[in-house]
Amino acid sequence: MSRRLDMSLCISCTFCGIPGYRISLSIVLGVLDLVTQHVDALEVLLQGLCGGLRETIKVHEICLKTGPNLGAVASEVHLCCSLSQPEPVWSVRHVGGAMRGAGADQLPALVRPVLEAGISNNSLRFMYSLGYKLDYEMLRTGFSFQLHKTVPIAVTITISVTAVHRLPKIHAVDDPQPVTPGLQMVQVSAPASPDNYSEVVGAISGLAEYLAPLVHLSKPGVPAGIVPTASTAAAALVSRGGITKVL
Amino acid sequence: MTVKWLYYWQPSIGVTMSSQTLSIAIKRIEALHGVKTSRWQITASQFRPNQREPVPLVECARELLGVVFSEVPDKYYFALRQEHMVVEADATMQAIMEKLQVYRNRLTILFEGFQYELGDFHIKAGRAVLAHTENLRGIVLEVDYKPLSSVEQSRRVVQDFMEVWQKGETTGQFVPLDPNFSEFNLPDLYSWQHTALQYVTLMAFVFSQQRT
Repeated sequence: MSRRLDMSLCISCTFCGIPGYRISLSIVLGVLDLVTQHVDALEVLLQGLCGGLRETIKVHEICLKTGPNLGAVASEVHLCCSLSQPEPVWSVRHVGGAMRGAGADQLPALVRPVLEAGISNNSLRFMYSLGYKLDYEMLRTGFSFQLHKTVPIAVTITISVTAVHRLPKIHAVDDPQPVTPGLQMVQVSAPASPDNYSEVVGAISGLAEYLAPLVHLSKPGVPAGIVPTASTAAAALVSRGGITKVL
Repeated sequence: MTVKWLYYWQPSIGVTMSSQTLSIAIKRIEALHGVKTSRWQITASQFRPNQREPVPLVECARELLGVVFSEVPDKYYFALRQEHMVVEADATMQAIMEKLQVYRNRLTILFEGFQYELGDFHIKAGRAVLAHTENLRGIVLEVDYKPLSSVEQSRRVVQDFMEVWQKGETTGQFVPLDPNFSEFNLPDLYSWQHTALQYVTLMAFVFSQQRT
């Protein structure tokens, strides 16, 4: 019997006041029961939907917080080290507070500003030198696909399926332990601008409908539950996709 | 990428530096049939930690330096001199730093002028001014000898060129800024990170000159 967990659907919206930067919108999270067959089934479904290449995800995410007395207010920033290529690729990620108001409440998702920047591989020592301290870290592993839509708007949607692992020792990525064994996260995201984010929300919600046979996505704090017919749908997808598994 | 060498104007004793110095330098370049190609601008900033209360003192770098090049607008470079570190980031990192508010911009210097092609030499001639003012803080040259990418070989050629080029100048001279790449763990191959280190060093020098 698969575990029920609160699922959350969250749209993150990247906003940057510097001209020329795009806003990135992202929707987060259904929880998928990790019977291996279901993950394989989702992969088959995404392969069919997106048609493109499967990208491997292996990201060491380090969450840093300011030490005492530093900054106008305490702040948090994430350093991400992608380990899926031969050379590690580092980036910095800042997630802001959720958008509020009547308009935001109407949306089927939460909107948050997210800023991301690539950075050289001495970034951890750099952030420590600026007064940041390690709060927690994790390893995310899995895969992603991209869907390029042109109707009703041109948008590239990224769907990722990942498991989150804790690290038993500081920065020890070779011995990760799953935080929620048997469960993975499904995350759907897309770039947008202040002018079109509601259309992008629509596009992402539309895509979520296609994933409904296997996973429900919903707004944070609203439990969506598992899909009762997921096992049946998964079996059908897997057999169609040519993967032979024992049920 | 070929190696850039920075020179700053040192006026002779009793002589005041002015924009006239830059005009004279440009005339010397043009006299050798140097061709003006484009404008250039480099913005270098100094940041200090943003502490909420004066005590306790936060354990962090007391000075953060940042540089952006008009030729590379999608990148931002940071340097921490005490920690001997140069960091290269996407330009969005500036927006992230503004959100984080852990460091505050204290001073910004604009290095700006025109670029010239003089045979195999690319020369940027310009002035250093305090941002939002017309406060002239220095006259600078950046010399790049295109055929050579070796630091040592290029240094010799550029030094010889500069010796000949400014021969006979009595109001002062352009003095080379000595780079300290090895102290900062920078790779042997010259890159924009090296250039960033040179310009933050030049900015620090320009600030120190003003105080004396």
